[in-house]
Amino acid sequence: MAWTWRPNRSADTRSMRHLRPITVMAVAGILAAACGSATTSPSSAGSTNKGKVGGKLIIDNESGSTWTCQFNPFNPSVNITSIGFIYEPLEFINILQTNPDGTPVVTPWLATGSSWSPDFTKLTMTIASGVKWSDGTPFTANDVVYTFNALKADPALDLNALWSVDSGPLTSVTLEGTNQVVFTFNAPAQSYFYYVADQTPIIPQHIWGSLDQSKLDAEADKTPVGTGPYLMSNCSQDNIKYLRNPNYWQSKPGHPVPQIAEVDYPAFLSNTSANLYLAQGQAQWGAQYIPNIQSYYISKSSSTRHYWFPPTLNVSLFPNLDNPLLSNLAVRQAISLAINRQQVSQRGESGYEPAANQTGIVLPTYKAWYDKSIDTTAYDPAKADQILAAAGFTKGSDGIYQNGQGQPLSFTIKTISGYTDWDASLQVITQELKAVGIQVTVQDEDSDPYTNDTQNGTFQLAYGEMPVAGPGPYYELRPMLFSGSIGSTNYSRYKSSSTDALFNQYSGASPAQQLQIIQQIEGVMAQDLPVIPVVEGVDWYQYDTTSFGGWPTPANPYAQPPVWATPDNGMVLTRLYPVS
Amino acid sequence: MRYITRRAGLFLITLWAALTVNFIIPRVMPGNEASAVLATFRGVNPSALHALEIEFGVNVHQNLIVTYFQYLANCLTGQFGLTAQRVPVLTEIISKLPWTLALVGVTTVIAFAIGTMVGVVSAWRRGGRLDGILPPLLFIVASFPVFFVGLLLLFVFAVTLNWLPLSSNYSIGAEPSLSLSFAGDVLTHALLPGFSLVVVTAGLWIYSMRNNMITTLAEDYVKMGRAKGLPSWRIMIDYAARNAILPNLTGFAMQLGYVLGGSILVEYTFSYPGLGYLFYTSTTDHDLPLMQALFLVYTLAVLICVLLADLATAGLDPRTRDA
Repeated sequence: MAWTWRPNRSADTRSMRHLRPITVMAVAGILAAACGSATTSPSSAGSTNKGKVGGKLIIDNESGSTWTCQFNPFNPSVNITSIGFIYEPLEFINILQTNPDGTPVVTPWLATGSSWSPDFTKLTMTIASGVKWSDGTPFTANDVVYTFNALKADPALDLNALWSVDSGPLTSVTLEGTNQVVFTFNAPAQSYFYYVADQTPIIPQHIWGSLDQSKLDAEADKTPVGTGPYLMSNCSQDNIKYLRNPNYWQSKPGHPVPQIAEVDYPAFLSNTSANLYLAQGQAQWGAQYIPNIQSYYISKSSSTRHYWFPPTLNVSLFPNLDNPLLSNLAVRQAISLAINRQQVSQRGESGYEPAANQTGIVLPTYKAWYDKSIDTTAYDPAKADQILAAAGFTKGSDGIYQNGQGQPLSFTIKTISGYTDWDASLQVITQELKAVGIQVTVQDEDSDPYTNDTQNGTFQLAYGEMPVAGPGPYYELRPMLFSGSIGSTNYSRYKSSSTDALFNQYSGASPAQQLQIIQQIEGVMAQDLPVIPVVEGVDWYQYDTTSFGGWPTPANPYAQPPVWATPDNGMVLTRLYPVS
Repeated sequence: MRYITRRAGLFLITLWAALTVNFIIPRVMPGNEASAVLATFRGVNPSALHALEIEFGVNVHQNLIVTYFQYLANCLTGQFGLTAQRVPVLTEIISKLPWTLALVGVTTVIAFAIGTMVGVVSAWRRGGRLDGILPPLLFIVASFPVFFVGLLLLFVFAVTLNWLPLSSNYSIGAEPSLSLSFAGDVLTHALLPGFSLVVVTAGLWIYSMRNNMITTLAEDYVKMGRAKGLPSWRIMIDYAARNAILPNLTGFAMQLGYVLGGSILVEYTFSYPGLGYLFYTSTTDHDLPLMQALFLVYTLAVLICVLLADLATAGLDPRTRDA
């Protein structure tokens, strides 16, 4: 019949899918270099506005689908609505804040502190006392031991592969005394501290322990019981309503925590509707990509509305090093020199995402690790020309360089369809490469086949980024360059035994040694160009100070600010306070 | 009777074929649920792939034939399992179904009614003022894709004028209830998607109805009616329209079947959380159980409606009964 709809890909399909992956992140994590040495005072939560409680905070974050009203903190498609609100981890590791020696700032949470054995294979955590689950049952170190062993019993929960890689790294989690938990690893494991302390929410044994332990991943957890600052009060497909936990353990007389009485988390199916809601001033905490944010959002109330886009990961060109042309260093150098990263940042990303540098260190976030003397980033098309000519390439009649066998420097770049900013960036890149005699064609793919292709190496060039950031450049550089990650996140298929050795030393190294290791890897990035960073991906974050204060700001970056960043959202929720 | 049994037999064969295709297609799509979760939720640690594969049973190799018969049995008994987000598939479908049925069902009926009436009248007064304006205009609009009309309407009424909501089925934070204010809220949200569907579909009904009418009006029995001196409205309705509507009725029944599947684009454009939107997300999330169940729902809807149309035609048109 003539009147069936043809479900073809419409133009607007693109605008929405751009945001989905960026905003829906369920943030699981990366490894952490913290040794638990740099702790601050226990969450100085809600330290402002004289202990006032009240207000209703509305969150604005496009989720792409309606809520399922499940809160299992180990289900990656729902746990952004339970971790931080209801479930809490042992310690908080702030990926945006570093101590002078480069280690991230660690804040005690359900644990009061932690210490490593000298060889970094044994981690001892001291569990806080006086914490209660929201049903009144006391929280104990047994719950912690139970949680980690549950991940072992049901590998589908083990999202950070604490148990499953080569029958390790974790070999046992046991109780010591009454309030200490000992994590034993089969090798130096500092980099796993982030996963253990920050990225694993603790669940109550008295509830989860009575379920089928091999099917905990299928548990819906519709009425979650946690230790967190909020209680799930009501959930529908369209909205989750959280009310403050009146017995929250961080509350003290005259010093209530959290201070906001109600938090609403509506499900937004499209980016446009979420942006409109935010622009209308109906929501106060945004994690949205907003084109023309100045005129669309800020200008409507410029004294109270703010945004901050902290960069956390590189968006890079990945050359497939199995490709005979791209395995030629000269070609990669020419590509890097030909790209004007400022231009890509301005025209492709409206300046919201800053230009990246060839060392792979995201600035200013990880500036403690950056060594300027190593950095080779430059925009120099003339030099790109020289390098190609010197390497024996000659220009064909079409202005494209070719090698001695007549193979032209002509490549496809795979990218994810729907990421309109990436498409715009690639347009700039295409023109710039063409100017130095390298032909590239952009190929848009759905995220699922794109992921498969980049992982399996069925591409020539790919535009993309690592899935997750972590507390330090190690958590981006290792997945990108470690040869053991070929087949997953080492898209370029970079193999270097000396680089592998550097990564392997990292987990057992002192902070000073770790800095040296990372700077050597910066050298590899700058000299070998296994990956060509172009711009720095950012966290989208907007906030309105009309009714609430205590937001993370560039001056006080106490947590990763978007609401999907867990457990950072818990840090924010316990620090916000009503102002009026 | 023979006609009906033959139709019913055809129904069963088509259903089986559809079920089989439905079984095969998602299995030849690239990727799987675990990698889709990684691709969709970009913040997930890549090491989670192993955990996710266990969760979704991705690398559990099963005999395809056995799986196929299990699948057939599950379809017959209505056991569709859990979605990738761990919700029973049936619950998910039932929660979205009313929105799609109400939105697209009502608009389809409205479009059919408007289209048929305008078609009848414009054919009756061929060359008249109505005939000169409405059919060509609506036919042009009908050739626009629905998302285009939808986006245009959104731009004018939601973004520029700010009269109507941009998306969703009701206001954020509104508590569903049987109150008048909630009904009004739902209605304002349905206005734009509903209107774009009516505008886009009505033209086709006008076109086919007008053509049928013109053919019928040339029939001898119409001349006979005129010769008998019947009032012209009786000739128009009882003599011409009753016969002209037969092919359209089949079309209408089929269209009702497409209501479910056909809502994808409009629901996507307006972020309307119905079955169409669910279908879209299930495809991008590579949610096999949900996708298969939705395919099945669509197929069944079309097949049942076609069967009903056949039966209705048999009732209205005595000639088909002997065929």
